[in-house]
Amino acid sequence: MQNWFSENINLGILISTLLLVLIGLGSIYSATYDAGASDFFNRQLIWAGIGLAAMLIVMFIPFRTLQLISYPLYIFSILLLIAVLIFGKTVAGSKSWFGFGSFGLQPSEFVKVTCVLALATYLSDKKINLSRFKNLSVAVSIVLIPVALIIRQPDVGTAIIYVLMLIPVLYWAGASLTLMLIIISPAAAAVAALFGITPFLIVLATLLITFFVLKENKLISAIIFSITVLVGVSVQFIYGKLAPYQQKRIDAFLNPEADPLGSGYNVIQSKVAIGSGGVFGKGFLEGSQTQLNFIPAQWTDFIYCVPAEEFGFVGSILILILFAYILFRSINVASTAKSRFASLVTMGVVSIFTAHILINIGMVMGIMPVIGVPLPLLSYGGSFLLSSMLMVGLLLNMYINRKEY
Amino acid sequence: MTENFTYHSRKNVFYVILGIIFIVFFARLIQLQFLYSEKYGKMSAENAIRNVAVAPLRGYMYDRNGILVVDNRPAYNVTVTPVEFENKNLELLTEILKMEKEEVLERIEKGKKYNRFSPVKIKRDVDFQTLSFVEEYSGQLKGIEYQFEPKRYYPTKAHGSHLVGYIKEITESQLQKLGDFYRQGDIIGASGLEAGYEKYLRGKKGFELITVDAEGKIIGNFNDGKSDIQPVEGDDLELTLDIKVQALAESLLSDKRGAVVAIDPNDGGIIALVSKPDFNPELLSGVTPFSVWQQLNTDPAKPLFNRATLTNYPPGSTFKMLLALAALQEGIIDENWRINCRGSFTFGNKVFKDMHVHGSTNVVEAIQRSCNVFFYQLMLKTGLPTWTKYGKQFGFGTPTGIDILEENSGLLPSEEYYNRRYGKGKWTQGYLVSLGIGQGELGVSPLQLAAYAMAMANEGKYYKPHIVDKIKEKESKKIIKVEPVMRQINLKNEVWKSVREGLYRAVNVAGGTGASARVPGINVAGKTGTAQNPHGKDHAWFIGFAPYENPKIAICVLVENVGYGGVFAAPIAGLCIEQFLYGEIIRNKLNQPKIILTKSETEQIRD
Repeated sequence: MQNWFSENINLGILISTLLLVLIGLGSIYSATYDAGASDFFNRQLIWAGIGLAAMLIVMFIPFRTLQLISYPLYIFSILLLIAVLIFGKTVAGSKSWFGFGSFGLQPSEFVKVTCVLALATYLSDKKINLSRFKNLSVAVSIVLIPVALIIRQPDVGTAIIYVLMLIPVLYWAGASLTLMLIIISPAAAAVAALFGITPFLIVLATLLITFFVLKENKLISAIIFSITVLVGVSVQFIYGKLAPYQQKRIDAFLNPEADPLGSGYNVIQSKVAIGSGGVFGKGFLEGSQTQLNFIPAQWTDFIYCVPAEEFGFVGSILILILFAYILFRSINVASTAKSRFASLVTMGVVSIFTAHILINIGMVMGIMPVIGVPLPLLSYGGSFLLSSMLMVGLLLNMYINRKEY
Repeated sequence: MTENFTYHSRKNVFYVILGIIFIVFFARLIQLQFLYSEKYGKMSAENAIRNVAVAPLRGYMYDRNGILVVDNRPAYNVTVTPVEFENKNLELLTEILKMEKEEVLERIEKGKKYNRFSPVKIKRDVDFQTLSFVEEYSGQLKGIEYQFEPKRYYPTKAHGSHLVGYIKEITESQLQKLGDFYRQGDIIGASGLEAGYEKYLRGKKGFELITVDAEGKIIGNFNDGKSDIQPVEGDDLELTLDIKVQALAESLLSDKRGAVVAIDPNDGGIIALVSKPDFNPELLSGVTPFSVWQQLNTDPAKPLFNRATLTNYPPGSTFKMLLALAALQEGIIDENWRINCRGSFTFGNKVFKDMHVHGSTNVVEAIQRSCNVFFYQLMLKTGLPTWTKYGKQFGFGTPTGIDILEENSGLLPSEEYYNRRYGKGKWTQGYLVSLGIGQGELGVSPLQLAAYAMAMANEGKYYKPHIVDKIKEKESKKIIKVEPVMRQINLKNEVWKSVREGLYRAVNVAGGTGASARVPGINVAGKTGTAQNPHGKDHAWFIGFAPYENPKIAICVLVENVGYGGVFAAPIAGLCIEQFLYGEIIRNKLNQPKIILTKSETEQIRD
C-alpha cells in the first residue's frame, strides 16, 4: 500500500493544491469578515468540499474512459454554452450563469475542462499532423467554437484564457516554430502597437532576430513579417480614428493608473494593500485595505492582495511557490508521460493555470491590464473552484497513468 | 507527426517562460513590499483614516476690571463631504438650507479642490429648525452633517466694533498666503484686535481621527480616540479697556458721526476707543448674510470705517499747544511775550479771522481763550521747520503703532512736502499761517490727538498706545505682560508748566473755551477745537486730561459736522472722564445736576 501510494499519488501537487484552497478560504473569510464567517465563506467551504470529492473521483477515472467520453462531453459543453446564452442569468453584465435559486453554475468554467480533453484527444491521434491545414483547422476550431460562444455572453477574460491554452498546447503537440510565429507575432504586434511605436518596433526587431536564429525560410519570413507590420499599422490607424473617449478607455485598460477613479482605482488600492503589507503583513483580519473594503469585490479577482496585505511578503511568496511547484512539476510529468494524451491534457491544464495566474496576479500587482480573471483555487466562486479542482484531478490522474501508452 | 519530435527541448521553453513570469512576480513583490512598503503603508493609513478638524474656542477678552467683553457661544454649521455628496440631493439640501443651488455647488467644488474627503462648510450658524431638518433627513442626505463651531458673543452693552473688530470666513487669497493652518471655511480675524491678535486668539485646531471604509462610512474612532489631537483654546486677552467708559462713549455718540479715544497717561493703555456709527459685531461673528454686508458697505456714514484711527482731519485749535511748546522750548518767545489781538490778522493781502477780540494776550491766555491771532503770529515767528520737528516728536505724520492693524499716519506738512506739492520757491509763508491754528494741509486721527494729550498730561512720556495689557497663554499657562513702550519728549519744565496751565484755564477759568468738560470734584484740563471742512458744518474736537494734578486719563473727542468743539465735544469728554475716575456718573446724584455755565462762559465757548 505504502508503495502503491508513493508510486501513484503525486503528493506534492496534492498537498500544494489543498494548501492553496485553504489559503483561499482564509482569504475569503478575511475579505468578507463581518463579526464572523460570512455567507461567502460558508458557500466557498461547501464548494471546496464538493471540489475535493470531484478531484478524487476524476483522479481515479480510468484513462481510456476519459478519452472515450471526451468528444461527447465536448458536444454537451457546446450545447450548454448555447443554452446559457438563451436561458442564462445575467450577472454583472454577462449572461454566463445558470441560476437555480440562490445557487448558480457557470458552464464556461467546466467547458475549459472538456475543451482540454477534446483537444488532447484530437491531437493525440497519431494521424494528425499540424502542418496540414485541415488538421490545424480542426484543432483550432475545437477551441474557437466555445470562445465564440463565450464572447457572446460577453466574457472576454475567460475567452482569452481559452486562447492562451490553445497556443502552448499546439506547440506541445508539435506545431512548427514557423506556425507559432504566424500565430504569435501579429497578436504581439497588435498589443505592442497599442502601447506605442517603440514597443511595436521592439516586437518587429525580436521577430527578425528569431528568423535569423531559426534560419527560417526567407519567403515565409517575409510573409510573416509583412503580416505583422500590417496588423501593427492597422491597429495604430484604427486607434487614431477612435473617438477620444474610446481611446481613453483603451489607455485606461493598458495603464490603469492613468484613470485613478475608474479602472485604475482597484489596481491602486490593491497595490496599496500589497505594499502596505510589508514583509510580515498586518496580521490576519488586521489588513485595513481589506477589512475596510477599499478593494471592491476583493474576494473574487483581487483575492491575492488579501494574504499579501495580512501576511506580507511571506504570505505572497508562499502562494507563488505553491503555484510554481504545481506547474513545474506538471510540466515535468507531461514531458515524461508515455502517452501523448496524458502529456497534452497535463499541458492544457498547465497552460490554463498559467494564463490565470499571469493575468490575475499581474493585474493585482499592477503590471498587467485589468482583465477580470480569477485566481485558481483561491478566488471566490463555486464553479471556478470546482473546475480548478477538477483540473488538478486531471493532473493527478495523468500522473497515475504516466506510464501507460 | 514527426518522429524526431521530443518533449525535451520544448519543455525547456515552458520552463523559461514560467521562470520569467515567476521572477517578474518575485521582483515586483520585493519592490512593493520591501522598497515601497513605507510609502504604501502611509497611503493605506491615509486611506482609512480621516482627519476631522475640531475648531478651538477663540480666546476670550476681558476689560481692565476683569469684565468679560468678548465671549463664545455654540453655533452649528452644516457641512458636506464632497466625495459622498449625491447630486440628486441638491434640491432637498438647498430647500433645507434656504440657499441658492449655485452657491451650494460652488462651495462643494471649492472643497473638492482642497480635499474631497474633508467636510466643507456649506452654511454657518444655522438655526435649530434647519438643524433638525438635517437630522431628520440624515439617512437620505449622504455626506451631509452638522458640526459644532463656536461663535462670538458680546455680553456687554458696548459694541466695541472697531476696537475688538470682527471675524469672517477666510478668503481664497488669504488661504494662499497664510498657508497650512487654515482651510476653506475657517474663521479669521478681519479687523481690530481679532485681526491684530489673530495668532493668539485662534488657538490650535484639534483633529479627530476617524476610521472610514471605502464608501466613507464612519466605522469608529481611530485607535479609540487615543491618537486624536485635542484643540487648544485661543489665548485670552486682558485689555486696558474700561468697558463702561466705552459703553458710555458709544451711547453719547449714538446718533452722531465721530470718535472717542481715551488713553491712560501712565502706560499708554487705551481706556476707550469708539468710532461711530458702528455695527453690531454679533452680526459679523459667524455667518454674515449678504444683505448685511451690502448695507454696511454702501452706508454713506461708513460704519466699517474706524474713525478713531483712520480719519485724517485738521485738528483745529487743539493743535495750538504744539506751536506753543515749540516756540517756548526753542526760546522764540517766553511766557511774557504778548500780542495785541484785534480780532483779525492780515498777512500780505489776506485776512485771517479770530472769533473774538482778545486784546493783549500771552501764551497761557492764548491757549485758555483760543486766540487765533496769537498763533498766526507765533507760527510766522517760529517757522515751518521747527513746527514740523516738534510735530514729529509728538507722533504726528506717523502711525502711533497701536496694536490694531487699521491706522493712518495722517499728514504733518514739512518744507519738503510744500516743495513737492507746489514746487520749490512757489509757496510763501502765507501758506503756513493757518497751520498755527491747526487748519490747512494737516491731517490727524483722534488716536494721535489722544496720545498728544497724554504726552502733555504726563509731561512728555509718549507711550505707545496699546489695548492689550496681558496675554494669557492657554497652552503654556503663562501670562505675558505687554510692557509699555515709552519715548521721552524732553522739554523744559517751565514749558510744560505754561502749556498745562493754559489747558487748565481753558476748562476752569472764565474766558476758557472748554468749560463744558468740567467734572464735579475733579480738575480737568483740555482744549477745544473747531475745524473747518469743505463738507458741511465744522468738526468739533476736544482733547484733555484729568485729574490735572495727577493725570489718570487723557482723551480726545471728535464729533463730525456739528459745530463748536466746546459745545459738542467737550461735554462728552467730561462725562467719559467722570465715568472713568468715579466708576459711575455722579453728577446726576449731586444737587447740581448740570454744570451751569455763566453767560460770559457760554459766550467764550466759541473758539
